[in-house]
This record gives sequence, structure tokens and C-alpha cells, in this order.
Amino acid sequence: MSDVPFKNPGWAGNTGEYDLTEDQVRGDEFVGTRPIEGGHPSGSASYPYMLPDKDPEAPLFEGPYKDRFEKILTRYPNKQAALLPTLGLAQEVRGHVSPHTMDGVAELLGLSPAYVRGVATFYTMYNKRPVGRFLIQVCTNISCNLCGADDVMGAFLRYTDTELGETSEDGYFTVVEAECLAACGFPTCVQINSRYYENVTPADVPKIVEHLKAEGAGGD
Amino acid sequence: MAYPYVSDREVRVLSKYFGDPMQRRVDTYVERGGYQALKKAFEMGQDAVIDEVKASGLRGRGGAGFPAGLKWSFMPKQPTKPHYLLCNADESEPGTFKDRELLRWDPHQVIEGVLIASYAIRAKQAYIYCRGEFFETTQILAKALEDAYEKGYVGKDIMGSGNDIDITVHVGGGAYICGEETGLMNSLEGRRGQPRVKPPFPAAVGAFGMPSTVNNVETLSAVPHIVTHGGQWYRQWGTEKSPGTKLFCVSGHVNKPGNYELPLGFPLMDLINDVCGGMKDGKALKAVIPGGSSVPILDAQECADCNLDYEGVQTAGSMLGCASVIVMDEDTDIVKQVRRMVQFYAHESCGQCTPCREGSAWMLQILKRIEEGRGTEEDLQTMLDMSRQMTGTTICVLSDSVGAPVVSSINKFKDEYLALIRRGERVGVA
Ligand SMILES: Cc1cc2nc3c(=O)[nH]c(=O)nc-3n(C[C@H](O)[C@H](O)[C@H](O)COP(=O)(O)O)c2cc1C
Ligand code: SF4
Ligand code: FES
Repeated sequence: MSDVPFKNPGWAGNTGEYDLTEDQVRGDEFVGTRPIEGGHPSGSASYPYMLPDKDPEAPLFEGPYKDRFEKILTRYPNKQAALLPTLGLAQEVRGHVSPHTMDGVAELLGLSPAYVRGVATFYTMYNKRPVGRFLIQVCTNISCNLCGADDVMGAFLRYTDTELGETSEDGYFTVVEAECLAACGFPTCVQINSRYYENVTPADVPKIVEHLKAEGAGGD
Repeated sequence: MAYPYVSDREVRVLSKYFGDPMQRRVDTYVERGGYQALKKAFEMGQDAVIDEVKASGLRGRGGAGFPAGLKWSFMPKQPTKPHYLLCNADESEPGTFKDRELLRWDPHQVIEGVLIASYAIRAKQAYIYCRGEFFETTQILAKALEDAYEKGYVGKDIMGSGNDIDITVHVGGGAYICGEETGLMNSLEGRRGQPRVKPPFPAAVGAFGMPSTVNNVETLSAVPHIVTHGGQWYRQWGTEKSPGTKLFCVSGHVNKPGNYELPLGFPLMDLINDVCGGMKDGKALKAVIPGGSSVPILDAQECADCNLDYEGVQTAGSMLGCASVIVMDEDTDIVKQVRRMVQFYAHESCGQCTPCREGSAWMLQILKRIEEGRGTEEDLQTMLDMSRQMTGTTICVLSDSVGAPVVSSINKFKDEYLALIRRGERVGVA
């Protein structure tokens, strides 16, 4: 194995290194930075991220997002197939997918509003209502559960002072229960916005929450 | 520091570069022999590639274990319509965490596999359907894909061969059922990810109504190696009916959970005691789910001489599925864990079929009741009856999967259910 000048290559998550930025965790040096306009059309759809800053009234779409939307359209034999990536894009800029947003997406793709609502509500990742700056999704499925996920969940609720699914008063945190995140060997896995935190124990939770609060003003 | 844990009993073919981010770079991948299999495949021709994969005996790693070469041979040989290759990267079966590792550590290996498979089935467009939660992973993949385009390994006239193949990364919206191959196709088309009735099978009417093939990430990752070294080479590992190596995702109460690439047929107890460093805190083994949450639970006795290949696990009374080995120690609350799995299925049922939609929700109610000490012995019989009615009666097998943990746990750990029921009766909760 080659010697890698890499602080945290993302295996077994970023245990204890919660100060790393998203780029550092992913290994920015090896994959480059995320081009906001999506780079090559083959991957444009895969770039949506959950950003802390949300603008529910943001236009669909302008600037680099418009570029990305247009690139996405080139990759499918029809417009309907671009629906999921487009909903993802809308969520990235607006933070959640309201009925109003669904109608906007329907218009963009020439689909009926009813159809788009039927599809958008089928999928759990499209937030139907606003969420906090940090959406904390704790996996409580079997592998994580065996290793104490319920306690991790409890700790997040306690330290963010929220009820399950509700957003904290300062608008920072929404804690929800997630299904298996495909990181079962690194329990408990917690997804916070776009990023996986792995091997999280209840003792790590205050550190993570403090870190997020500090990061909250800017950053990702 | 090496990749979380490694074992000297592993045979690292697909996972050779796990933990080495340099492998994500196209230059490194090529230096290490990458994209040579693709070149060779183009020289061999479609039918020879299919024959080689057939000869290797490679079986689908997405759960069903269907022979990959055979599946490819169902595709029309003289295309009259566009063909599609769909790479299933929707990994969401509880206990499974191998595809994410393959995608983020060796994205070019996946891309090369996708290209060879596309070529073999005469598809000019492939989609890699990634689950929506995989933000970092898809970004790594997308970057690799972009580099591969730039170097001419994907796109028009690949390596001057005259072959055109485009690949697109498609992200899902968070729904387990989109991992089912026909649900995946619907989701790709911008619909609700509800499975379709088969037949027609995807090779006849698939994505966008065109002939399509769906393969798992791990299946496709094995393909470049088979093309390079030949089908016979691949058969040096594994058993006659389950050849090759397989990534085992071990989670739960072991000292060293993680992904281990081992020859199929590897003894389960060696995996736990040797490869994974034994049970956590030296506790005794209670049960193992050998193939992800959709397969029956094995008790400690059944594990004792279980070999991890498709046939071996079946003999032991379960299924290999995607080889997601979930290990539970003596202190595990089986009823709680079964309830958690059923809760998952109740949440993920797509709602088309009444037995699945209603059955999973109802079972969840019963299990919660039992957990809270308000259950009765009849409840157990009710659940057994229900699971019979939920098996083989629906569009896809998610409905059957709900019953797997329920029935096997009632049969093998009835005492635990009864203890909860009796405790409730004693304190008069009911
Ligand atoms: C409910 C359900 C969920 C599934 N989820 C996945 C999945 O996440 N990933 C996967 O590769 N296969 C999954 N499958 C299996 C696929 O339907 C299909 O058999 C597989 O992708 C074919 O690829 P293979 O032949 O290479 O294994 C699922 C099947 C069912 C019934
Ligand atoms: S069995 Fe369940 S998940 Fe499968 S199609 Fe029917 S309702 Fe949907
Ligand atoms: S069970 Fe938690 S990530 Fe799979």
C-alpha cells in the first residue's frame, strides 16, 4: 500500500476527528473540489449536497444550478427521468421540497403537478418541511442497534435539546431516526447533512454538537 | 494505518486497494494495470466475454446469486432498440456495507466493470444508480468518471476501438425498495420506485421499455479480473457451485467488524473467531444473520458447521443473500432486534400489495405489544399465519423478507417471546 499524505482517508469514518472539514474527510486531494455547476454531465446529478444555508425562495434554477440542471437533462432519453435529480437540486438550494417547489419542478420538466407530488412524497430524502441547519440522522437499524444506537440517539436529543423530528429553537438541529446507512461495520453511523460520522458513541455526542454549533455560522 | 482491519486469511482481489486513496486517481489505476481488461474485452468480442464470465461461474452479489454470464446471455444479440446496463448501487439492506466501500475506494474498478458489461450486452448507455445518502461516495465516483471520460476510457470511440459507451451517475431519493431491480428501473424513469410484475423480465422490457440488465456493484467489480485472468482462474477460490471470492460484511458483536474478502465456502465460525478476532468482551454467541436482514436467523448450534457459500448457508437453514453477517451475543434482546427489522420493512414497503403493506404494519404492532409485555401466546401463532400469507403472494419478495426474521426467531428463540409474554401476565400489564 502506498504511503499516503492524508490525514483522514475516511475509513471507519472520522472517529474523534470531528474538526475535519468535509473536503478533508472525503480526501479532497484525490477527488478534487466539488464544482458547483456539476462538472461533467455524467456526474452532474450526483453533486447535490445538503447545505446549512437554505433559501426556500431561491429560484429554480439560476447560475451554476441552471448549468447543472441543463446538463442533467442531456443524460436521459426523456425529461421525466430527470425528476429525481431535479428534486435533489431543488432541495440543495431550498433546503426542503415544499408543494410549491414540487409544482415548480413539474413546470420545469413538463410534468403534471399531481404526478410530481406523488413521486416526491414516495421518497424519504426529500424533506417535506423545513429542517434545521444540521439534519442529524441517526441509524438505529440492527447492526448499529446491537452496538448501542438507541443511546446515541438519546444523547443527540439531549444535547440538542429537541424532540425527535422537531427542530431546535435556534434553528440549528433536527434529529431524526434513519434506516441502515450502509456503514454497519462502523456503528453507530450518523449522517449529518451530507456527511457520515461513524463509530459514534454517546460520549462523542457533546463534542460533535459543540463542533457543529461552532461551525454553524459558516462552513458545511 | 491500514484499512480498518485486515486478515491474512483474506484473498483480496476486489478489495486489494481498500484504504489507499491513490487508487481513486485514474493515473494510479492505469499504472496498476487498470483499463487493460476493457481493452482485452474489446478484442475478444461480446460473445467471448459472456462465455468467459459464464465459465467463471460468477454469481450475482446483490442477493439472489443469479449467474451473471447467464443473465447477460438473455439480452438480444442483434439490438433493434437501445440497451441499458444498470449498476445497482442502492445498497440499503441492513447489515450490508460493501458497495459503498467498492465505490469509494476503487471507483475505476466499478467503472471498468460497468463498461465491460455494457459492451457485452451491447448497451451504449449505462446508469449507476446510487442511493441518495451516498453524497461523499457519489462524488468520488463522479470525479473518477469525469477523469475516465477525459482520458477516453468512457464516451465516444473508447481507446480508438470504435465502441461508444456513456455512463451516468444517477442518485436516488432514499427508498430501500429502489434496490429491487424493477423498482430501480421505475425510479430511474422518474417514477415512484415500485417494483413491476415479472415477466416481462428486464432483458425483454426493462428501463425505458428497452432491454436492460441490472447488476450489483460487487458483481461488476469482479468482471475486469475475470476478463483479465480468465474464468478458470476465478474458480481457484470457492466451491464448484459458488466460485470466487466474496466480500463479507461483518457487523454486530465481534471485536473487529468490517469488510473481509474471503473465498466462498469459508467457515462461519472461523470468520467470527479468527478473522474478526472473536466475540466482543469474550461473550458467547447467540445468533447470526448470515445474509442481511432479509434472511432467517441462525442459532449458535446452526452456525457451528455452517460454510459461507450459497449452498452451505442454505443447508444450515438460511440464505447467503449479500453475505452481510450480523453477529449477536448472548445478551442480545432478540425480540427487540426482530421488531427493529420489521419496523424497517413496514417503513420501506412500497404499498402496492396489501399483504405486504398491511401485514408488515400489523406485525410491527404485535411485536411492539409483546415487547411492552402486553402480548399473548396466540400472537405468535398469528404472526406465523400472517407470514405464510405474506410469502409468495406479492409483486416482489420484500413481503417474504418480513417473515424471515419473525418466523425463524419464533422457531428458534420462542423462550424469549414467552418470557416477555409471561412477565407481562405476571405484573398484569395486559
Ligand atoms: C427488496 C429488495 C431490495 C434489494 N436491494 C438491493 C440492493 O440494494 N442492491 C443490490 O445490488 N441488489 C438489491 N436487490 C436485488 C436486485 O433485485 C437484483 O437482484 C440485483 O441487483 C441483481 O444484480 P446481481 O445479479 O448482480 O446480484 C434487492 C432485491 C429486493 C427484492
Ligand atoms: S411486496 Fe411490498 S415492497 Fe414489494 S411490491 Fe408489494 S408492497 Fe411493494
Ligand atoms: S445498521 Fe446502521 S448503518 Fe447499517
